[in-house]
Amino acid sequence: MAPYHVVLVHFPIALWMTATLVILFRTLSDGPTAKLFDRALVPLLSLGLLSGIIAFSVGLMVWPWETISASALGRNHVLTASWTIAYWAVILWVRQARGESVWDGLSRWVKAGLASLGCGLLGITGTLGGHLVGIYTDVSTALRQLGWDVYTTFYVPDSTLIVLLLISALLVGIGVWAGRQKAAS
Amino acid sequence: MKHSFQRAGLIAALSLFGGGLLLSWFTHGTGTVKDDPKRGISIPQQLTVPLQVQAAYNDKDIFFRYRWPAAKPGIFHDVVVYEGGKWVRKGKGNPGPEKDGMHEDRVAMMLDDGSVPEFARYGGYLAIGSGIASFTQHANGKEVAAQPHLGKKLKQEEVTKSLPETRTDLNDWSSVQPESTLQAQRQAGYFLDLWHWRGHRSNPIGMSDDQVIAEARLGDEGKSSATGNWDGKTNQPQWMFNPAKTGYKALRWDDIQSNKIDQESVYFLREGDVVPFDPQADWKDGDTLPRRLLRTPEGSMSDIAVQGKGRWADGYWDVTLTRKLDTGHPLDDKILKDRGAYALAFAIHRMATGARWHYVSLPVSLGLERPGDIVATKFATEQPTWGDKWTQVELFYPGQVSWPHLNSRQHAGAPNIKKGQPVTTHHSVEQLKHYGIEAEFAEEIRRQWWLTLWAGVLMILAFGVAFHQLVKRQPGA
Repeated sequence: MAPYHVVLVHFPIALWMTATLVILFRTLSDGPTAKLFDRALVPLLSLGLLSGIIAFSVGLMVWPWETISASALGRNHVLTASWTIAYWAVILWVRQARGESVWDGLSRWVKAGLASLGCGLLGITGTLGGHLVGIYTDVSTALRQLGWDVYTTFYVPDSTLIVLLLISALLVGIGVWAGRQKAAS
Repeated sequence: MKHSFQRAGLIAALSLFGGGLLLSWFTHGTGTVKDDPKRGISIPQQLTVPLQVQAAYNDKDIFFRYRWPAAKPGIFHDVVVYEGGKWVRKGKGNPGPEKDGMHEDRVAMMLDDGSVPEFARYGGYLAIGSGIASFTQHANGKEVAAQPHLGKKLKQEEVTKSLPETRTDLNDWSSVQPESTLQAQRQAGYFLDLWHWRGHRSNPIGMSDDQVIAEARLGDEGKSSATGNWDGKTNQPQWMFNPAKTGYKALRWDDIQSNKIDQESVYFLREGDVVPFDPQADWKDGDTLPRRLLRTPEGSMSDIAVQGKGRWADGYWDVTLTRKLDTGHPLDDKILKDRGAYALAFAIHRMATGARWHYVSLPVSLGLERPGDIVATKFATEQPTWGDKWTQVELFYPGQVSWPHLNSRQHAGAPNIKKGQPVTTHHSVEQLKHYGIEAEFAEEIRRQWWLTLWAGVLMILAFGVAFHQLVKRQPGA
């Protein structure tokens, strides 16, 4: 399945990178061209997510789970790919559900930040995929200088996991609170 | 919702989310990899060590010169110290650096002439079979002793290095081939020649241990350069220094611990220079005797000698070993020929470590006046004149990676091994120094990684929930 995975990943990469440019452009501009591009955002993000999920699923079939989950590079590739999909799913969801309101006030910068993070993760995921098939880039060197050697599995200790769970609960709590505020107003 | 509430909510959500990301970044990789003596795990702080190598030969002999850094010279192996009326052994060995700082420094070199073709591709990984000693999962000593060939015939007490085809089942250390097959393999050259210089058990008498890796790591035929200095019945040493020659009957433990023992002094017991142990001598607490007696090796075991003196100075060992190109022992040694091409792999022990707590190299090619990673130059005199041209070999801590693992479904490169692709096609020392450690904590790391993956997804989605609710609803959306 490796050749199919390699072919398929081109689609989400292209779509999400294009979406990133659109989001950044729309963040910086309220002009008619930016708004025109923004109208293509939901289709772009939808196709990106769909092709991303397909590429991810096919990728999981390249090696048996026993194999990919035993390799540091394999684990990292799966982890960053999962997070990439989650990021872009959130970006799509909010844009789809909230329409042009996402470009109001602080929200547009949050949207730009999410897209940048999603794009960065996409790049790291692709880099790790390259490493898995023996094609190396300097992205891994940059990550090492930032504190992560990609030849070691990315994982956090239990204490951090607990904090992440608490943060997740608080974020959901903020969402519930905001929903009630909206309902009351 | 008021605009100010929305803004405050977004800032709070962003702070929480950003904090979670930063916390993950700064704490990643911690909390799991740590020394665990119960499982035989000790991770060195330094994962790589440089080794410098030179080689040269003349019509008769070949010379290898090795130079590597060591904070201090490990010139003792194990000793017995007089404490409270008893002789107590120190330097028995434990995971990582020995607790009393005992255990000799070593340099080892595996050599093949192409008869073990996988060796040139995978180096020492090839020799790490199932059940090998000092791995967390290792064969039971009693079972090894009961194994007809390894235990009963070869008197092995643990599973040592071996070559894969000496077993009928790669995953079963006890599935040793029939003796007739082992003999045929040996005749066909299916073994690795192992040069094994030891800081205490061979160097003081100007020799190197000479071994072979086949169905086990074995000594060459003949007599080794060291034997025990311990009488298990009386629980005391058998030999002590000869005061008439040395001026002392024992060393002092404090002097050893404070590194006051001169490399040029007599700190080792050598057959012929010692006297029988006298239990009635006026022994004092701290008197120390080496637990090994050095002797002149014989037969095929005496093939490799130290040229000059193997000495540590200014933070480096500098050791030159020499051997005949043709030792006349083709069942123990790889016979070297002018213009020949060979494969090598190196290892060093330092910082009072033993067993698998060493640094190893990937396979290196050797050419005798022909291209190779190391080119042995030919000279016409008795001894080589070394220049400044060294081959730099990066050694790394190998962790617990066995040949059965590399050929299993857990290793993505197993199909590549079957295709005969060398280890360097897909791996570098930079990778392998980490992979060896990850292999030692495979299950723990897999668990943390899996939880981290889902914790991350959860936090991203949770942020999505907050963000979704905090964005002003579009009229009609």
